[in-house]
Amino acid sequence: MAADAAAIRAPRERSAWLETAVGQGLALVAAFVIALLAGSVIILLYGESPLAVYGAMLSFAFRDPTSFGTVLAIATPLIFAALAVSVCFKGGLFNIGVEGQFLVGMVTASWAALTLDFLPGLLHLTAVLLFACIGGMVYAAVPGVLKVKTGAHEVVTTIMMNSIAISIVAYALNGPLKFTEAPPGQNVDLRTDIFEKSALMPDLGHFFGVEKSAHLSWLFPMALVAAVLVWVLIRRMRLGYEARAVGSSAGSARAGGIAIGSVQVKLFLISGALAGLVGMQQVLAERGALVQNYEALLGFTGIAVAFLGQNNPIGIVFAAILWAILTRGETALQIETDVPREFVIILQGILIFCVVVVYQVARRRLARRQLQRAGAEVGLRDTAVTDEQPQEA
Amino acid sequence: MSDTRGAGRGSAPPLVVMEHVTKRFPGVVANDDVSLELRAGEVHALIGENGAGKSTLMRVLYGMYPAEEGRTLVRGEEVRISSPRVAIANGIGMVHQHFVLVDPFSVTENVILGDEGGEILDMDRAHEKVAELALAYGFQVRPSATVEELSVGEEQRVEILKALYRGVDILILDEPTAVLTPGEAQELFGNLRRLRDDGKSIVFISHKLDEVLQIADRITVLRRGKAVGETTPAETSKAKLAEMMVGRPVLFRLDKPSVEIGEPILRVEELLGQGKLNGVSLEVRAGEILGVAGVEGNGQRELAEALIGLRPPASGRILLEGNDVVGLPVAEIRNRGVAYVPEDRHEQGLVLDMTLWENAVLGRHDDAPFLSRLGFLVIQKIKELAGRLVKQFDVRARSINVPASTLSGGNQQKLILARELDADPKLLIASQPTRGLDVGAIEFVWRQILEQKEEGRAVLLISAELDEIYALSDRIVTLYEGRITGEYPPDARPEDIGVGMLGGNEAREAS
Repeated sequence: MAADAAAIRAPRERSAWLETAVGQGLALVAAFVIALLAGSVIILLYGESPLAVYGAMLSFAFRDPTSFGTVLAIATPLIFAALAVSVCFKGGLFNIGVEGQFLVGMVTASWAALTLDFLPGLLHLTAVLLFACIGGMVYAAVPGVLKVKTGAHEVVTTIMMNSIAISIVAYALNGPLKFTEAPPGQNVDLRTDIFEKSALMPDLGHFFGVEKSAHLSWLFPMALVAAVLVWVLIRRMRLGYEARAVGSSAGSARAGGIAIGSVQVKLFLISGALAGLVGMQQVLAERGALVQNYEALLGFTGIAVAFLGQNNPIGIVFAAILWAILTRGETALQIETDVPREFVIILQGILIFCVVVVYQVARRRLARRQLQRAGAEVGLRDTAVTDEQPQEA
Repeated sequence: MSDTRGAGRGSAPPLVVMEHVTKRFPGVVANDDVSLELRAGEVHALIGENGAGKSTLMRVLYGMYPAEEGRTLVRGEEVRISSPRVAIANGIGMVHQHFVLVDPFSVTENVILGDEGGEILDMDRAHEKVAELALAYGFQVRPSATVEELSVGEEQRVEILKALYRGVDILILDEPTAVLTPGEAQELFGNLRRLRDDGKSIVFISHKLDEVLQIADRITVLRRGKAVGETTPAETSKAKLAEMMVGRPVLFRLDKPSVEIGEPILRVEELLGQGKLNGVSLEVRAGEILGVAGVEGNGQRELAEALIGLRPPASGRILLEGNDVVGLPVAEIRNRGVAYVPEDRHEQGLVLDMTLWENAVLGRHDDAPFLSRLGFLVIQKIKELAGRLVKQFDVRARSINVPASTLSGGNQQKLILARELDADPKLLIASQPTRGLDVGAIEFVWRQILEQKEEGRAVLLISAELDEIYALSDRIVTLYEGRITGEYPPDARPEDIGVGMLGGNEAREAS
């Protein structure tokens, strides 16, 4: 039977697949080049040389192990955030709430770090991570269930819940999780107590000559593993299959017996769990506590990164690293050029913009060409084979 | 071959001559040295199976595709039609299968769109002009109505008016009846005859042979990109046309296998729901095909969806082998042995973005051996299944790894049938199973349905095509406004069934 499947595989097929992959890759490269060119205009307006500015940004990312380690550390939360977005997106859901879910995840993880400190060693850290996931999941379950039970649109509910999450963090820092020993000196910023060492994410970078200041932790390989797991989930598991069916044709999925509501709630839960891990880099690897001036907006950046990576887990890893290189470039600009650091934000915006336009144009042309060819080919083969068929009376 | 056709017949000089047109797509020849003549005052039918190159040829004429070889003469002069704009300037208009209208706009606004005649709109004059046009050709459509209020048939008239407003003499209609009810189709034919009598030349692309014989003055048959013949309705017959199209004789009446009718599999009692079902009761037995005839929109879709569990009824019972399945989820009803061939294969049949093998297992993806205990798809097994189905049901595709969207309509339907029937159902619900398919594919689908009967399965066939109902059914009921209005033996006269389809025959005549 496997031979049958192989027999109908035409030789062209592989080349079509390759054409798609290469075509999409080229489109992304083209978008990137156009974005850099557009950015050059801005750099020239500041009277600087684009080559020098881009060179400074690049060298700042790659000049030594610590530089690149920092890039990977910046990319780590972005990978989790973008994966969270993409999981929902596959099922036709737009989870804008990764931001809120990650904030709540930081709160629940911090609670676990402070409260479960009787747990020995790695168990403590595991519990903290688990609580981060649970926090994100619970917070994501709300819009999921509302969507399925009442039809409330997830975009609206998650945006609202993001605002609530900011208050939840503020409440936690002012109340239940507020420090018991005031920080030394004049610093009056709110934060939790510093976590026990057993709750912190161990450093990974020093194995590769990356200084500890880069904060490259074991979370980065965990993010890579998460990307692989998401890929497996989407391409190889029942839930991913059902999600893709629901995402691209809800009617056919329903007629095929797929319980759409249950699939969507599960996707929200998985998305929330991934979102819960977004904050762990800053809490467990960088600060060792939940602080008032935490780094926010990672959930929203995750939407951009997911888009840049075309919701493909592997693409997301690369997109996150690219984003991190640009983000780190901000520092390069401040130190080595007169271009203001906001230039990077503009460049990131232009990049997304270019990807939207170039990628869509390229994909449409490619799809049209392939569809046309496939349609015409199959149509002709139809009649061609019919002619040769032996006929029963 | 094509040079000698039709020359000499008809005295008027042709409006359009396409000579030796060849159109290639990468790897295929969609039109291979095709020549065609269109005369003033004729309806010229262009027929052929899906993919035979009918639409491609007309898109070349309408300037949508450039041809690699050949030339086009309009009114005796060679023209290079490089875009639809040029085509319209040369008096050639085309109405596509899928309409392109702005829903919130009025009929007039849609008609003048793109040809407004200046920055300041003179809506009163435009209204008047559109109304005049509509009146002249007998188009029943109100110029001030908005498009969203219109029926599909009316929308089509607006599309035709759009072309006429631009003063075209040559009107190309791509599968115009595919979206119409039989009544609407007849109305369209009336409009077309008026246009023809007014000296317009109409190209009628179709694969419905009865319609072609009814409306066409001349018929050109395409097969595999080549023009294989030209004829007139007087010289030919349905069987001959089908043979020219397919390249072999086609049977329009298949032998119904004689099978002993067994126990009732499905009993529907007083099904009520959503305004469209007003107390439907019926019964289908093992080895029996029950044909549900009726004009579309009388509850067919709602009935099918209620039976498979997509649309739970407000009241009434659906007994599957004696057990009420009302309220059960679709997956459970499927598990109990119901297969479903939906009327809309894109909306409810296939996930077009997914591959053939992924589609082949939809609905069975959570059963052994296709799913492992841990929730992983057993891709090896699924691909074996897909390979087997594709082979058994003769689904023509480049590979099982291509998206379902790349299949022709007939092959998509074969894939759905293959998937649904392979699960060994007790009951098959087939809703408009041959809609939009060409002759060869229809025959295949019919054979498969008859085979279900032979296997002793129960079949509920819902169809708006009376031909299909007659060809397959052991018993016929008519559905009108959500009620069963009559029951007939398979050899009942069409006129009698027609009465039931219009609701007249409330007292059921038992056979």
